Amino acid sequence: MTFKEIQELVKLISRTNLTEFKVKNGEFELSIRTDKYEKQKHQLPLAPVAQGQASPAPFIQMPAVPSPYPAAPAAAPQSTPQPSPAEAKPESGEGESGKYLEVRSPIVGTFYRSSSPEKPPYAKVGDVIQAGQVVCIVEAMKLFNEIESEISGKIVKVMVEDAQPVEYDQVLFLVDPRG
Amino acid sequence: MLKKNTLFVGKVLLEFPALPSTNLYASDLLSKSKPSEGTVISAAHQTEGRGQIGSRWESQPGQNITLSVILYPRFLPVARQFSLNQAVALSVRDLVARYAKKPVYVKWPNDIYVEHRKAAGILIQNTLGGSGFQSSVVGLGVNVNQEVFPPGLPNPTSLKLETGLSYALPELIGELCQSLEHRYLQLKEGQLKSLNAEYLQFLYGLGQYALFERPGGEQFRGRIAGVNPDGLLLVSGAEGREESFQLKEIRMLGRPEKSK
Repeated sequence: MTFKEIQELVKLISRTNLTEFKVKNGEFELSIRTDKYEKQKHQLPLAPVAQGQASPAPFIQMPAVPSPYPAAPAAAPQSTPQPSPAEAKPESGEGESGKYLEVRSPIVGTFYRSSSPEKPPYAKVGDVIQAGQVVCIVEAMKLFNEIESEISGKIVKVMVEDAQPVEYDQVLFLVDPRG
Repeated sequence: MLKKNTLFVGKVLLEFPALPSTNLYASDLLSKSKPSEGTVISAAHQTEGRGQIGSRWESQPGQNITLSVILYPRFLPVARQFSLNQAVALSVRDLVARYAKKPVYVKWPNDIYVEHRKAAGILIQNTLGGSGFQSSVVGLGVNVNQEVFPPGLPNPTSLKLETGLSYALPELIGELCQSLEHRYLQLKEGQLKSLNAEYLQFLYGLGQYALFERPGGEQFRGRIAGVNPDGLLLVSGAEGREESFQLKEIRMLGRPEKSK
């Protein structure tokens, strides 16, 4: 691996939600941990985000992996009463908690929550969005892309800060389809 | 009036004495109806012309081209959207280069420069759904007859300033529609490589050296090496290492020069 490749790799990783990255090639071994690693270790995951293997074509709403834990209280959708761990039973289908859908970025660019700094955000936590509704802008080299959601539901979490760079397929929003 | 020698761009031409923003009008139109591809919205005066997020496009009433074109590039994979930018930038460059008697460049990513001065700007707004492109609003501003610009604009110019001549806007708009259609059809036919080659041929400062600044304030001298398929600017630094930059990750200070 050349210095340049490592540099590109670090840049890429810093823009994703990855907390740890390891690669081994013959004698060469590289391990990278981000500052998110320690934070994440001490937190229950809100909704584990599928990384890496995401299929390239549909860029929006890959179902998140159902969480084996009840959602962390702070991030739980307020309208839905969360079962306590004692009550939580394995349920099939729609009943399980933490089954959020994801809105992902179709391109490399910069994430904007509104069309201009003085405008309100397209979508904020708690908003119920409809399929076809614009939820954000991803700007790529001065092309401004309004991103439409494909599903309806309630915004549970905004995963990226306004005006921050995003990578291809990076998760932008978590949406509770039960709204 | 507009010469009807295009297949679709400008066949429907909506002209207004004044609009807040032609791009905004086009977006509203798209949300309420299904305008035909190539519909052009032209305003003699834009009261709230849009540049990049938070910036404004200054244009005197009746002096310049300010229009938006509605396109449906559904054939184009979202990841190849920089090719749309290249096609549009080349079409505006075609028009400016036909009249300006000096070299005309595309400054990354899509400003049109006559030598070192900006003569035209582009603002493209796409709507992306699950299946990819839904629509695209291509906003074009070309400085034509304006001779005085507000102070604070770094380096504006116009066709009139370059040549001393005045131009009939309807004819220029017709020519712009033609060249946009030509470049868009190239894109539709999948000629992405030749579009890229022409874009690089006219890229401002390609192969030259300039002083750059990172968002943190760090400055470095680098050579403009090109663009990658995502449209990121490639700059090679001191040790010949090549780095790629998004729009907000780099700023060019001053003019590019042939030598280090």
